[in-house]
Amino acid sequence: MKARLLAHTPLALLREASGGLDAESLQPHLGYTFAVERISRACSHQLVRHRVASFSQQSQRYITVKRLQERVVMPPSVEKAGGAEFKELVGEASEAYQLLVDKGVPKEDARFVLPNAAETSLLMTMDGRSLFHFFGLRCCNRAQWEIRALADAMLKEARDAEPEVFDAAGPYCYQLGYCPEGRFTCGRMQEALDRYRA
Amino acid sequence: MRIELVAHTPDVEAMVAVSMLTTTSGAQPSTLHERLLANPVKVGEVVGRLEVQHGNVLEHNRLVWLVEATRDEALDVMLDTRFLTFTGLGGDRWLMSGNLRAVAEYASRKETEFTRRLVDSLREAAPTIHAFIRRGAG
Repeated sequence: MKARLLAHTPLALLREASGGLDAESLQPHLGYTFAVERISRACSHQLVRHRVASFSQQSQRYITVKRLQERVVMPPSVEKAGGAEFKELVGEASEAYQLLVDKGVPKEDARFVLPNAAETSLLMTMDGRSLFHFFGLRCCNRAQWEIRALADAMLKEARDAEPEVFDAAGPYCYQLGYCPEGRFTCGRMQEALDRYRA
Repeated sequence: MRIELVAHTPDVEAMVAVSMLTTTSGAQPSTLHERLLANPVKVGEVVGRLEVQHGNVLEHNRLVWLVEATRDEALDVMLDTRFLTFTGLGGDRWLMSGNLRAVAEYASRKETEFTRRLVDSLREAAPTIHAFIRRGAG
């Protein structure tokens, strides 16, 4: 998995144009475009729930999936369990996909046999305020491991580019000073604060 | 009413081209971005094929304008389109932002002095898309 911030609107220009508005007030006017690469389709399904964002994703209608076994994301829990069943099923899916394509079935239909583990890459664009919300939810210990790893990688890129804006970003417990998860709290708020302290 | 484009995503049209190619290419988006930044001619060729693409390829950017307008004029725009974001700066000054799709769709729906100036403000930042919107707006 890789996340790279490809482009953003510079805070300094907006601050000058606005006559000195603070970074928080300017957040909705700041835009960030990331290349998100080699995540699973399971992860991209979660990502597109953030519907204020814009996405351009590699299409399985157009791109032939080759060497599926090398183009899947295996969760650490599956790997820890040996991964034999996972590998076997991916191998079968790969074979079925190729057989269907060879029989002339369009890629847009052959892809129905591909697993959620299949890799995908995409462009994602969000405004600054929505990105804060994304980090609040997805850097949280309760988020699923892959999207949390992605959110962490994106946060690092955003902090490197605009520390003044994003040093305050992280899981909601870090942003708010308390955990908003109620009875679902992970109970490890101090650990999160230490991890995300800029 | 006065509109000035004061900031935007760098290399806007290169990003539109990356977006257009990402959906159909096996290459990674960051690789496409590197290649296209180094090849402005290719960017022009790809973006020139814009009409066959989905509108969402125009969303990977943020443009920010300084607008001088009365409250009524600004309110008219806000009621016309929810895809342009406003922040009042005091008096008749506003910070307004949105992406190329918001501009293209607004201009195609409504031809006013405001949308004409909005489209004209793209001339330098996104010349191919500026021409594309102008053609569409007739």
